[in-house]
Amino acid sequence: MKSLSIKSFALFATAVLFVVVAALFVNFYRTSKSNISSLVKESIQTKVLTLRHFLERNMHIDNANSIMAYMDNVVVTSKFISDIHIVTSDHKVVYVTDRDKIEKHPNIRCISIVNIAQADVFSQGCYSFSLRLFKGLKPYYYKVYVYTDTEYLDSLLNKQIRRYLIYFLIFGVLFALIAWFVFRLIVVKPLEKLRQYAYYSTKPPGTFLISEIESIRYSLMMTFKRLKKEQEELYKLSTQDSLSGLYNRLSLFDKVNWLIAQSQREKKRFALVFIDLDDFKNINDTRGHDFGDKVLQEVSHILLESVRENDIVARFGGDEFVVVLTDIEDDVTIINALERIKQKFANPIQIEGSSYSITASMGIAIYPKDGEDISTLLKNADIAMYTSKEEGKNTYHFFTESLNEIIEEKVRISKLMREGLHKGYFELYYQPKVEIESNRIVGCEALIRLHDPKGGIIPPDKFIPVAESDGFIIPLGEWIIQEATRQLQKWQEGALRDIKVSINISGLQFHDANLFGTLQKSIASIKVENLDIELTESVLMKDFEEKVELIERIKKLGVSFSLDDFGTGYSSLSYLKKIPFDTIKIDKSFIDDLQKPKEGEFVRLIVNIAKNLDLEIVAEGVETKEQLEILQQMGCDIYQGYLCSKPLPAAEFEELFESHKCNM
Amino acid sequence: MRFFIQIVILAVFTFFLSACSSEQNIDNEKIKIATNSWIGYAPLFYAKETGELDKLGFSLITNVSLAEAADVYNVGKADMVTTTQHEYYTLKELMGDVTPVILLDRSNGGDMILSNVSLEKIKNAPHVTAYLEVDSINAELLQEFIEKNRIDQKKLSIINEDQQKIQDVQNTNEPTLIVTYTPYDVSLKRKGFREIVSTKDIHKLVVIDALCTRKKIIEQHKDRLAALKQVIDQKIEQIKRDPKRSFGYVKKYLGDMSYEDYLVSLQSIEWINHPSKELLEVIAKMGYKEKDLIR
Repeated sequence: MKSLSIKSFALFATAVLFVVVAALFVNFYRTSKSNISSLVKESIQTKVLTLRHFLERNMHIDNANSIMAYMDNVVVTSKFISDIHIVTSDHKVVYVTDRDKIEKHPNIRCISIVNIAQADVFSQGCYSFSLRLFKGLKPYYYKVYVYTDTEYLDSLLNKQIRRYLIYFLIFGVLFALIAWFVFRLIVVKPLEKLRQYAYYSTKPPGTFLISEIESIRYSLMMTFKRLKKEQEELYKLSTQDSLSGLYNRLSLFDKVNWLIAQSQREKKRFALVFIDLDDFKNINDTRGHDFGDKVLQEVSHILLESVRENDIVARFGGDEFVVVLTDIEDDVTIINALERIKQKFANPIQIEGSSYSITASMGIAIYPKDGEDISTLLKNADIAMYTSKEEGKNTYHFFTESLNEIIEEKVRISKLMREGLHKGYFELYYQPKVEIESNRIVGCEALIRLHDPKGGIIPPDKFIPVAESDGFIIPLGEWIIQEATRQLQKWQEGALRDIKVSINISGLQFHDANLFGTLQKSIASIKVENLDIELTESVLMKDFEEKVELIERIKKLGVSFSLDDFGTGYSSLSYLKKIPFDTIKIDKSFIDDLQKPKEGEFVRLIVNIAKNLDLEIVAEGVETKEQLEILQQMGCDIYQGYLCSKPLPAAEFEELFESHKCNM
Repeated sequence: MRFFIQIVILAVFTFFLSACSSEQNIDNEKIKIATNSWIGYAPLFYAKETGELDKLGFSLITNVSLAEAADVYNVGKADMVTTTQHEYYTLKELMGDVTPVILLDRSNGGDMILSNVSLEKIKNAPHVTAYLEVDSINAELLQEFIEKNRIDQKKLSIINEDQQKIQDVQNTNEPTLIVTYTPYDVSLKRKGFREIVSTKDIHKLVVIDALCTRKKIIEQHKDRLAALKQVIDQKIEQIKRDPKRSFGYVKKYLGDMSYEDYLVSLQSIEWINHPSKELLEVIAKMGYKEKDLIR
């Protein structure tokens, strides 16, 4: 059903009202006409009756003189009667009011006075009655015609109609106008205001007269108030980080995009600082997430306190924050701000009665120099932040193009590694370990090589840090174990059956829960005593007890352990005491300076300790015969280095082994 | 909305219908009876005073003479009229539309001729003044009287007056005849006029009083007329049973009349509300058709 507007409805109602009033008017007209008609009829009847009585008493046969004056008066004084004719039975006119016209009115039809009740007095112009006079006892008959003034009678009614019609029209229109005006004022306008209010939900209208409309207004107002509150809460939820109260990532993007547009117009620059809390994972791991959340809240306060009001502080996610320093004039402004942050971080945070120190690594990207969009700025600030991490944390670093190139190279290598693991870009090279006494190759160290199809071999010092940083070291380590044991199994079936192969396991992989399983699986088909694992001191630095336990488990499998790069780190003797190493590998740096007295003594000391502890000793990086001779004098068991051979592919290693050409 | 519009249209339509039907209801229309002071019409006066006429929707227009009552009827101011056969004939002659529907009484001495001298003196007098309502049954009574007593009409000086005025005629020594009817005879008799003849004596003249009306009234108000007839019958019975009580109600319609005069007057008429077969045969010849009469 089509809906009707209030205006249309009001017009319709007014029209109905008008029709009803018109009907009332018609009814009134009919009643008036009927009443006037009754009165006129009554009057005519009375006149005729009086006339009749007068004539019966006063008229003489064939002589109207005696009644003429009276009859004339009757016509003159009566508004209704215009003429009277008295006619004898033989049609002789004995009286007529207008003496000049003695003929009957030709166009006027007479009806008997007795029928007046049914007549329309406003159009009926003549009434007649018979008159019986007596001469003695003999009757004579006359006919009396009474003519009425129909024009006057008609005007009597028309005048009334006109008057009431004017009243009706004036009052009707006036009433309709007033009704419309009042209706418009108290219903239409308020509803229109309500419609506008419902549409725009601003400027609530004032109170209304009509209670129903007023209650709608009040309800709308309450609803909008509630909606606004909910909207604000929703906006807060969508733009704020619930934990810290800072802008969230979405809001940060909005704000920075807006800032980019403004800075573009005004040729201004701003700094985007990417902040990552150092070692925050440790807080969560050691103190629980609730505590971690409190630290994040505290950090948020510190960041807010450290910057200006128009700067932007957002929580990017986890322990990552972004601070946007607007309207910066030079790098000093940025450095000052970052120093302020560092300084505030330097004060221990008081949480739950205990104080806690935190540091953060920060990376800075400048708009528009380091990026013209938010993604680039964030990426570059992140790169700079990583540089800070790499540089020892708790510092900040500006993004530079060279940093970008390094990162791009890292990304390329990372991609290549992932691709290479399936496509065979990795290969194990084997560097011989030679028994000094017999000059016989007794083992080798498996060293990973990455073949870049476009750029040749990529050295491990380039891709291993990348693999360690992005976690790829785990699958790569597994591959090394599998590949080395596969190769060992192959060799154990031939001439190289007694070769001992050493593999390097990184600190990260040593943390991997699957390591033991992988090893267990890989050694199933080899002589396990020919497999050696080289660990650096750094691998042992963290979670020492756990690692000792793991080493003991692996050792139980029959795998031997070498302490790699001995002498470069803490070279703690407690390692040697607590961990059942089989071999100590003296770092190349000591061997390089072996001829120097001090370094030579160090090596001698290490060799002596190893001898005393009944550990095998391997010198790394032996490149000259002089070095070899000194080592031999010192009693070193095995050497490894370019003196014998560089790391070789398996096939070449086999050839070398078979040729017995080391240091010959 | 459609329902609403339907309701509005229905309301307007109903309104118009009620406006159209605001014409007077026929059943509520007053039926006006033109009459005059005649003892025979006492049942009507009685019913009027006891309110029964009003209940039935009848009203009375009381006139000074039957002629005047007939005139009122003639000009349409009354719907019914009490008549003797004289008025009935006159109305029939003048307007045609008149029918006797209820018989009331028959004059049995109620119409009379009074005189201040004896019949013999009237006969012998060279000149006699005669007062009467010419256009009434008086004329027929006088006509019968002079024919019966062979009195020359030429010696009569006819004075046409209504009974209201006639009752004021003074008794002079001049031989005078007054044709009148009860109750107007009472005051004249007090002045020394004596009845020399009445309808009781002239059997040839049967004076019938009846209620006449138009055809339209008969057609439209059959039931009401029947009810009126019942009321009249009841009132006649009540008058007969307890004239004193009835006098208390009707006396103001009968002029200066004592209860004794009332009783005498009642003796001068005969109620014919339940007419005999013979009477019906007689009046049928006079134009009173039995089929028109309400029994």
